[in-house]
This record gives sequence, structure tokens and C-alpha cells, in this order.
Amino acid sequence: MLAEKHADRINKIFAKYPDKRSGVMDLLYLAQEEYGWLTEDALREVADLVDIDPTQAHSIAGFYTMFSEKPKGKYWLQVCTDLPCALRGADTFYRELCAYLGVEDGGTTDDGLFTVEQVMCLAACDRAPMMQCNFHFHEHLTIEAAKELIEKLRVQAQPETQEDGGA
Amino acid sequence: MIHILLRDLEIPDIWQFDTYTANGGYDGLKKAVHDLSPAETIQIVMDSNLRGRGGAGFSTGRKWSFIPKDAETTYVVVNADESEPGTFKDRQLLEKNPHQVIEGAMLAAYAIQAAAVYVYCRGEFWDLAHALEDRIEEARQANLVGDDILGTGWDCDVHVHLGAGAYICGEESALLNSLQGLLGQPRVRPPFPAQMGGGLYYQPTVVNNVETLANVPWIIVNGADAYKKIGTPESPGTKIFCVSGHVAKPGNYEIPLGLTFRELIYDHAGGILNGKRLKAILPSGASGPVLKATDEVLDAPLTYESVAALGSTLGSASFILMDEDTDMVWAAAKMIHFFKDESCGKCTPCREGTYWLDKIYARLLRGEGTAHDLEMLEKVPNQIAGVTLCALGDFAVNPVLATLEHFRDEYEQYIHQPEFGPEPAQAL
Amino acid sequence: MTKTATIMIDDQTYQVPDGINLVDAAKLHGITIPVFCYHPKMESVGMCRMCLVELGSISVNRDTGEPDLNDDGSPVVRWFPKLQTACTQTVRDGTVVRTSTAQVLEARDNILEFILTSHPLDCPICDKGGECPLQNLTMAYGPGRSNFIYDDKLHLDKHVPLGELIYLDRERCIQCARCTRFCDELVGDDVLAFHERGRSLQIVTISDPPFDTKFSGNTTDICPVGALTTADFRFGARPWELDEVPTICPHCPVGCNLSASTRIDRDFGGKKMIKRIMPRQNELVNEIWTCDKGRFGHHHSRAADRLQHPMMRQGGEWVKIDWATAYHQIASKLKKYADSAGFLAGPTLSNEDLWELRQLAELTGDTPRLGVWPAAMTGAGVVAQVGIGVNTRLQDVGPETAILVIASDLEEEAPIWWLQIKQAADRGAAVVVANARETKLDRVTHTVVHYDYGDAVAVLNSFAARARSRRKTSKALLDNRVDGYDDLAAGLKGTRVPFADAADVLLDAENVIVFAGAEGLTLDQHRELMQAAANLLIITGHVGRQNNGLVPVWPGANVQGALDIGFSPETTASLIDEPPAMWFIGGADPAADDSQAAHVLANAEFVVVGAQFMTATAAQADIILPRQSFAEREGTYTNGMRRVQRFYAAQGPVGDALPDWTIYAQIGARLKGPKPPVSAAAVMRAITQHVPRYAGMGYSSLAHVEAQFPDVGGDDLYYGGTAYANHGGLGVQWATDAEDDSARLVVRPAQIEKPEKSGDLCIVPVRLLYDRGPLFEPSDIMHQRVPEPYLELNSQDAAHLSIADGDRVMVTAGEIQIETAARVNGHAPEGVVLWPRRLAHGPAPALFSACSVQKIEE
Repeated sequence: MLAEKHADRINKIFAKYPDKRSGVMDLLYLAQEEYGWLTEDALREVADLVDIDPTQAHSIAGFYTMFSEKPKGKYWLQVCTDLPCALRGADTFYRELCAYLGVEDGGTTDDGLFTVEQVMCLAACDRAPMMQCNFHFHEHLTIEAAKELIEKLRVQAQPETQEDGGA
Repeated sequence: MIHILLRDLEIPDIWQFDTYTANGGYDGLKKAVHDLSPAETIQIVMDSNLRGRGGAGFSTGRKWSFIPKDAETTYVVVNADESEPGTFKDRQLLEKNPHQVIEGAMLAAYAIQAAAVYVYCRGEFWDLAHALEDRIEEARQANLVGDDILGTGWDCDVHVHLGAGAYICGEESALLNSLQGLLGQPRVRPPFPAQMGGGLYYQPTVVNNVETLANVPWIIVNGADAYKKIGTPESPGTKIFCVSGHVAKPGNYEIPLGLTFRELIYDHAGGILNGKRLKAILPSGASGPVLKATDEVLDAPLTYESVAALGSTLGSASFILMDEDTDMVWAAAKMIHFFKDESCGKCTPCREGTYWLDKIYARLLRGEGTAHDLEMLEKVPNQIAGVTLCALGDFAVNPVLATLEHFRDEYEQYIHQPEFGPEPAQAL
Repeated sequence: MTKTATIMIDDQTYQVPDGINLVDAAKLHGITIPVFCYHPKMESVGMCRMCLVELGSISVNRDTGEPDLNDDGSPVVRWFPKLQTACTQTVRDGTVVRTSTAQVLEARDNILEFILTSHPLDCPICDKGGECPLQNLTMAYGPGRSNFIYDDKLHLDKHVPLGELIYLDRERCIQCARCTRFCDELVGDDVLAFHERGRSLQIVTISDPPFDTKFSGNTTDICPVGALTTADFRFGARPWELDEVPTICPHCPVGCNLSASTRIDRDFGGKKMIKRIMPRQNELVNEIWTCDKGRFGHHHSRAADRLQHPMMRQGGEWVKIDWATAYHQIASKLKKYADSAGFLAGPTLSNEDLWELRQLAELTGDTPRLGVWPAAMTGAGVVAQVGIGVNTRLQDVGPETAILVIASDLEEEAPIWWLQIKQAADRGAAVVVANARETKLDRVTHTVVHYDYGDAVAVLNSFAARARSRRKTSKALLDNRVDGYDDLAAGLKGTRVPFADAADVLLDAENVIVFAGAEGLTLDQHRELMQAAANLLIITGHVGRQNNGLVPVWPGANVQGALDIGFSPETTASLIDEPPAMWFIGGADPAADDSQAAHVLANAEFVVVGAQFMTATAAQADIILPRQSFAEREGTYTNGMRRVQRFYAAQGPVGDALPDWTIYAQIGARLKGPKPPVSAAAVMRAITQHVPRYAGMGYSSLAHVEAQFPDVGGDDLYYGGTAYANHGGLGVQWATDAEDDSARLVVRPAQIEKPEKSGDLCIVPVRLLYDRGPLFEPSDIMHQRVPEPYLELNSQDAAHLSIADGDRVMVTAGEIQIETAARVNGHAPEGVVLWPRRLAHGPAPALFSACSVQKIEE
């Protein structure tokens, strides 16, 4: 449960605002971090903390692209393919990335490690092509650099995946 | 070259509290709280003729002066939801010169005696936002933020609020809803944020862009007159131009308003990538009309007024450059797809209109476009423009209407000779 | 709304109330500004953009204050450069609007074309077809053909259950947010919301249970398309086949005006059948809303197990008899028992029934014993003095008014009043909620008084004492019209005021309304509560005026009528204490409600029961009389605000069942009574002649309808589409003594002994909206909303007994022993076991009965 496990963080979130409801986005991030994605139970937990109906948490989660109500890979790769990036090869980069991972647009690799998605402008047009991996920016990318990153992440993930029994 | 904002170019460590203060940082705030009344602070900013850098170009001082004097609780909200394609200036400011933004925000807060400052960072600025919290903590430790600021008895804390991926939250009333934990959809206005009932928690609120606020410490320290000596009388000060796309040196360029397009693109940004010819310019990201790169355009000065005279808008000064090989129908399709994805869905014309336009562009790019589609590209934008709840609808029609105006032949080619069109873009 | 504004619409000048919405202002003068998202009962959101108009204002010279004039003498109008949404404008002097210029018409055409790009063209199979604002407005203003390529249309799920009551057709939804805003803003149950964004916006609910509100049906009325439909009605009939019959809800004291949409139907033997129930507009009662019990709880009228024939018990068997036999048998028994007969009237008997029952009773003796059931509440005299002021409009109540709700769980007992008070709180009315436990109304206010059961009267007395000490008493009233004040004042002297803040909220308001229930009070205690409430209202002068006075939350639809006609709960109590040999019961089920009553009935010599179903009481009868439901007959009910309202025959007959008044008159005729009246109207005429308060309330006066604001449900194209239109009458409210300047008002000290608790745990029966009462149980559609039987325990008590929420427990109270589920959610006060009435536990034990609770180990 978030309330027990992250009591300090939750208190800090609520301390920022005169109205609890303002904390809903921070709490959704927290729940997503804790559970990997926003399950219905996670939404209920957040709603309970904020004192709103779970429907409202569901609504907020659905409005924003950085909340996921579906399972995602351990690494969530979001590639900007908006115009400024596309002018510098983002579409090609994205296509090659999908091909390298062997997934369709929006897909997740069979090992559950990587989910790839296109996203709208990330305010890094001067460093295109770029993507965010679990919300951290990777910029000035080439497909080679991306491949290197992916292999690094694969290695990083390995011991953990085995412990989790491949989950 | 004066850098009022991108001071990291001269002082790379200015993001550090000690470096910032060693270089005059927080002098503006100290001056204001010790020597100026809130009203005097507003007056200086008003006299400086600083105009909002978020796109609309409204007088910052006037905006502050709208806060009712008898308001019990007021807020300052820093709009750091920088999401316009081609815009990345606020990110650099927050990353490289964050204390100046904090100081600017605190000056705004002092001017309206705000109860708190909220910095609404777009969610994708995840790392940046967390670093910003550390910077705020430094200021808090130095008694520049928080309780009893500089011993004056004035309390005002600064908090970072993370968005989560929604362009519409850059629209100030949607941003306020989002900050309140509501759906990030725009509100009916009036009441405007500065008015009772229109702001954060329905209290009078100043919402300012990051770059706007970053100007304020300099103005308070150096005075309105000094500021007005930079740039043009109507648009004083420097402006950060974000240059991206087919450009040799993409990046942010802080220059006084009034230089020409040509100077910005060729002198500062190194010209066009691979020495190609410049075909089209989007001077304010995806939301302003595209300009054909004629000599007339290239020799025009970069001011709000002259860009408007050319039929576009300077907006947030996000220059997306496109070279001679760029397929303008494809570019318009990209932008329409963006707006369709980012339409919040609240009002009918934007929700349905962007969906419709996106369908038409998808068909064009598949080589299945018809003369009827072209007719619709002329008709549908006019059904959207001017009747939507917020400006997103008006923005969304610009890529269509402006590309049709300047590059109609490319559309004709898609319809009549689709075999000569480029590879369909997978993004669509 | 006293000030008027002069505005111009389409070049004509009009006077309208200043500050009202522009759409409504136009509508007042018959000018249509079409809307989808705007609703006159909700805040404007400007979403659909259908109401675009040319808007301007008359330019006024700043120095002279006079309008600037053109050369031709016409005023200069400053126009907005772009079209504006009318729904986001309020009118003021000088507002100028053009609603039908080419530009406006083109904009409407454009908006409709947009809406129809995603909307399916399935009108022929859509429940809303025929009463659909989108259909109507498309016909009126829409494009003849769409430019949108049909293949580009979105295809979405068409049968999405939002819970078991309401279905969503995602394709038809036009994202107007009326339903979400209704739940969120008006009700405060935030159980419906948009998911995703842009064209993917869709309505969702994940509340538990889904769409968890008692008002969900209203969203289907205000939905401007066929996106939301009820499980009760969908695919049931076409609107144009339906005959709308005005009726009144029989379930609670609010008296919601309803419309029964009826059709001659194969499924009901070719007789007229109720296909759905919709709210009917009465701004003085339910506005345009009703709760889900009222909307979906009508199935009892045609339940398969309804009693169809008179029956007599012969040797332990029920034997069907004809009416003549029944009348004769009963008449002879009444003759035999005469003075030792007792009469008990249930809460759904109409005024006509009550009158004829009284006539019948009076044939048996000069002072017949006339009891009303449930006998939980009393105070007819108090209501006659200080009942709520005539023409009170709860929806107008704002910051100038304080509302006290005491000893009632209002959402369960009178949902629409709860809704109206919640909205009043939103408008700034000061709400004080006083009860021994938390109820849902607590959430609308910061002023909550949680007293110990037994202290309700003391709380009111303390408020009155505070009024004296703060000199908030009404001198004019006390000096001229009040009897007994000295005694009262003496009694109040030195009274402690533990909830001074709450008292001050009431004392500082210009208007005060008190809603009083009877939770945790015996009948005798409740009499004191009503008096204490009256004392407070009288000494502070909050009587005899609109938006002031007392509203009893009666335990039924026509308890007020029963009291008005001479039935009393005190008589009921005496009937149980000193039982008559013969019982004559109409429309009441005491055996199911009260263990003592059940015991007494079992020992009676002869029992006659008029009933719709084989209830626990009917099962004890010697003769059963099948009574008609509210649906098959006409009559009048008097609601908790004393408004007498007509209902009409909506449904074909069931078996041989007859209206109660007919049955009683027929029996009376066999006791040498007068010739039975020919119609309900004739009975009402008699009432108007003999019951002074009902003078002038003939059926034609009760059927009178006046124009209402906001005007919804007419034959317009945009608000209409439902059965809101009121053709049945607004009813007539009788005036209280307080409203008559010459009448004296009486106060007296009100006191109750604080009850001694007879054990560690004692029982407090409470009322639930969704129960297993005989008039609700047959509505299968609602079964999932009726809780499984449970008793509610205090958390600490439960902890001591090692009982957790949901555990099975054995509860013993005297001779009663039941197995049930324990609910432990922090609402029950310590030492109290809340016993929801009519939840299949059998009759509730008396208030404060000692009980023991034991966990049943699995």
C-alpha cells in the first residue's frame, strides 16, 4: 500500500497544496512508479488518498500521456516524431528502432523489457532525434547510439528479471 | 551581445546558487523587498514595457496590475509547460539559469503579495523539475523563499507541480485546472486568471511564462529605462529564439528584437543544414502560419509587429526551418496530427475538426486524396477558426491554411499525381 | 431577480430579469438560441458551441451616461469581432444580440456538421428518436448533407453498461458533459467522468458500485442525444407512442411530480402499461429531478404477485370471494365490534382514501380510533402552526438562509430534499446537520453536530437558549402573537449550549428552515423534538414566511394527508398498547415493521387488510382487500411541505383490485352510510367542504399549471425531449397559522428524559431508501442496489467483539434472534447497533432495545 510505504512522500505532496485534490497527479506518478502501471486498484488507492471517487483518478490518468493504464515494458521508450524532430530524421530513427526491437509502433518486446511509442514534442528539438526512456531524456540520437543504450539496459535488467521469474 | 537570460553562455555554473548570487543574483529580490513597495515593483515592470514571452505578448506589468488590491489570497503560477513544437527555451532557462527564474517568480509574487508560487513544469521535464526542487531548496535555505523572507515577515513558498503530457495545459486556464487536480481542459473566460473566480483555486492569479519572469530581476536591478534601451520601443528587451529543423546550428539564440530573419538564421544559427536552400519558416512553432522563405521575409525585422505584417506571428519565437526538399503537405500533416492528438476534446469544432483534418491528411499521404478532400481542407479550417473555446483551434488551422496558400501546387500534386509523392510517413 | 435589464434581441427591445443567462433571457420571450451543453440548472461551460450568436453592447458615453447615437438616431452598438457563445453571457442593460443572421446560421450549420461527423445515424433504432434535441436541431438548423466521408466515421461500443441501470452508447455521445456535470456539480457524487481526450473522450465510471449515485436516471433525461438510456426503458417503446400521464411518487414525503409514459401494451394484456417514469417539472417541489427509487420503483404496480381478488380466510385457507361478499362480511363485523374496532391508514393512502376511511370509521362510533402508519413521527399541530412558508423554493435559497437538518438521514429518507439542500449549500446557504451519527449530508457543510442519541431535543433547546442570550428573539412576534413564552423562557434559563457555533449559524441567518426526522426518537420524544423546533422557529421569528419554517421528514408519501384528515400516530400507539378486537388496516404493513405490532395483530379477533401484496400484515388478516396501486387510479397526496398534489390513472386495472376509497365507501353504504361517491373528485369535493385547510382544493384548482422558470420540457427543440412538461397541475399548498397574522402561536417547554440504555449495546432502527419494502421489492431492476441484510456496528464495539466489516454475526434482542452481516465503517456511534428497517430482518425491535452481537466463526 502506498499510504504505508510512502507516507513521507505522500505527506510532502499534500503539504504543497491547500487542496488535496491537487496532489492527484503526483500520486498517480507515485503509484505508477510503485506498480509499473496504473492498475484499477492503484487508481482506487490514489483516489482514496485524495478523497475523490476512483472515476476521477481514472479520468486524470486517461487524459495525460505520461500515465499508463496498461502494462508497459520495464523501459518505456517514447520517441518524439513531431515536425522539428522529423525534419532531422526522427521518423527514420523510430522505424529503425522498432525494427531493431522487433516490434510494431506502440508495441512491447516479447521479453517485456521495452515498450516503444511515438510522442508529441518534448521540447528538445535542438537535439533531435531524441527520446525519453522512463522519463529521462536521451538526445542527439543515432540508431547506433540507441542500440547501444538498449543493449546496456538489457544487461542491466538481467539479474532482476531472473529474480522476478521473468515478470 | 547582451545575455540577460541565457547567462549560462558566459557563466556556465550560473545554475549554482553561489555562482548566481556572486553574479548579482537575487539582488533584484532583495532590492524589491527592502526598498520597493509591491505597487512600485509593478510600476517598474509596467514602465519597462516587458511583454509576455509565452506567445501572446501581453504587457507583464499590466497583467500584474489586474490583481484586485483587496484580494485576500493570490498566487503566481509559472507556466513551464513548454510544449509548442519547436520551442525549447524555457527548458534551457530552467536547466541552466534556474535561480533567475525563481527570482523572477518571487518578484512577481512580491508584487502581488502572493500566498505561494507554483511552477507548472511539463511532466517530460522530469529530471529538470526534480533538479529545480533542489534549487528552490537552496533559495529556501538562504531565506529567499519560504517563511519570513529576508526578515520582512512576508511568507511565500515555491512549489513545483509536474504535468503529465498534455499540450493544452500550456493554455493558462487548462493549466490551472490541471494544477487543481482537475481535467486539464480550458475554462470559460471571463473570469480571467487575474480576476476573482478565475485563477488558481479560483483566487486571483498571475500566470507568467518562464522566459518572461527571467527578465524581471534584470529590470528591477537595472531599471525600466535601461531595459527599454534594448530592442525596439514596442518590443523592448532581448528575446530567445529557438531555431530547429533544417538548420546548421539548432539551438537557442538570445538576441534583441529587431534583427532580421536573415541575421538570425544565417549569422547566428549558421544557415541551412548541408548548404541547402531554405524553403519555409515556421516562426512560432506549429501554431503560427508558415512563411515562404522569400527575400522579403528574410529581410524583415523580427518584431511582433513586422512578423504579423508578413501574415504570421512571432509568438514564442520558435523557428522551425524547412529546406528545399521538404514536402509541405507532409509537414502540414505532421502538425495537424499533433493538434488532433493534443485537442482536449472539450469543444466541438476543435475536437471534431482536428479529427476530420487528420483523416484527410492521412488519405492524402496514402495517395488516396481527392478533389473533395482539397475542398474540405479549405472549408473545415474556416469552420474551426474563431469559434473554439481556446486558441488551440485557431492554431490548428494555421498549418492547413498557410501551406495551402503558399504551397498549393504540392497539394495538387498529391491529388493528381500521387505516384510522385514521397513515401507515406509511418508516423501517420 | 427584481431588477430588470433592457436588452435587444434581433433588433427588438425586451425587458428581462437582470443578470440571467442570455439563452434563458431569449427563451423567456420565445426566441430560440439552440444549445446542447448548456442546461439552465447547471453552470455554463461553453463546450458545444451551438449557441454562437452575434453579441454586442450599446455604447454609452462615459461622461453623460447616455447611449451614443448613430446619425439616424439608432444607438451605437459595439459588436464583438467574433461570434460569442450565448450560454456564457449574462444579460445586462444594453446587451444586444442577433440570433439568426446568416453568420449565425452558418455557424450552427457548421457545428451540427461537426457533431454529426461522429454521431451515428441510427435514429430509427434510437430510444431518444422522436424526443432528441440533436435530431430536432439538425432538422431545424443542420446541413442537408454532410461533407464528411462516411467511411471516416468512428465506430465505438454501443452497449456500455454504466452500472446496471444506465447504458452508454459511445457513438452517440456528443461530449456535452451534462451527465458528468450533473453528478459532479449538482449531486456531488463524482462518479462519472471523461476518459482520454480529443475525439477519444468517453464517459466512464469505476465507482463501486458503478455509477454510484441515487440520482443516475436524471442523466438520461438531460442527455441531449440517445447516448444514455435506462435499462428500464431502452428498446421499450418509441416516444411518440407514449401517452404521458401525470402522477406523484408514492415513495417519500417529497412528493416528486412524475410523468408516467404509458402505452397499450401486449406485455400487459393489451392494457395501458407504464413504460417508464420521468420527472415532471414542478419548481416548487422536485424541479426537474427525481431519484432512482422514484424512477425505477414503479414495477410494483404490475407485479405478478399482486393481490387480484378479495379473499377470506376459511379454516386456515384463503378463499376467493367477490366484492359484495367482502363488503357484507366486513360491514357485519364492523357492526359487531363497533366501538372496539381500530383503523390504521398506511402512508400511500390518498387523501380520498383517508377521507372515506374516516367516514366509514365514524359509522361505527362517534370517536373512532384512527391511527396512521408508520407511527414514527408526530406533530400535526406544530406543522399547522409553523410548517414551512407557502411558496418556498429551495432552489432559490442562498447565503441568506440557514437550513438545519436534525435526526434524519435525508438522502435515504427524502433524496430530492437532500439534493436541493446540497445545492443550497453550494450557493452559500448555511447548512447545519445534527444527528447522532455521520450521514452523507455532513459532507456539504462544516457545521455538523453529532449528539448522543437522546439529546436531539436538548440540542434544539440549547439553540433556543442561545437565541435568548444573544437577543436574537423576535420581539414583534413574542409581544403580539405568542402564548407560553414565559414558561418556555423560564425552562431555557441556564441551559448549556454545547454547540454554540452551530446555533450561531442559525441565529445569524435571515431565513431558517428546519428539516426534522425521527431517527433515534420514540414517538413521545419526537413530539418534543417537533415542539422544540417550533419553539426555536417561533421565538426567532422564522415562521410564516417563504423559506422559513419546519419541514417534517415524514416516513411516507402521504403521512401529512393522514394527519390533516384526522389520523394520528398517538392513536396508533394506543391501538398497540390497548389493542382493539377488530383491526381495519389500509395500505400499511405494521407486522413487517414492528415486532410489537406484529404480536398484537396475531392476537386480534378479526383483521381486515387492504393491500397490494401478501404482506406480513395481510398474512394475518381474516379478509384481504386488493387495493389498487397509485398507478391505476387517481387521487391526491399531501407532501411534507403541505402541497396537495393530484395523480392520475396511468395504468390499466389489475384483477379486481379497487381504489381504497371505493372499497371503504361501499362498506359504509352497507352500514347505512351515504351513497358511495361517484369519483375521486367527488370525494375531494367533500374534503374541501369539511377540512378547512383544504378549502378551495378541488381537482380543477389542483390541476392548475402556470408557466415555470426555467422553461424546460415545452415543445421546444432543445431543452425538451423528455416528459418534463407539467400538464397535471402544480398542486396547492395550505397556509399555516403563522401565515395568518391574527393567529396565535403557542410555545411550551419541550423536554425528554435521556433514555437509559438497557445494555452495553442497543438498537437504533434507521431508514434506507433502497429497502425490501413491498412497493420497492418488485422492481427487479433495483435489486443490485438494495444492500444485503446487515447491521451496522461501531468500530470500537466491533473491535472489542473481534468483529470485522463483513463478518457474519448473530444478533439477539429479546426474543428476536437473527443472523446477518456486520458492517463496520465508522458511522455507528459507540454502544449503538444501527438496524436498517425493511432489509429482510423481520420487524425491527423497539428503539434502544438491548442486544448482544456475536461473531459466527466460519
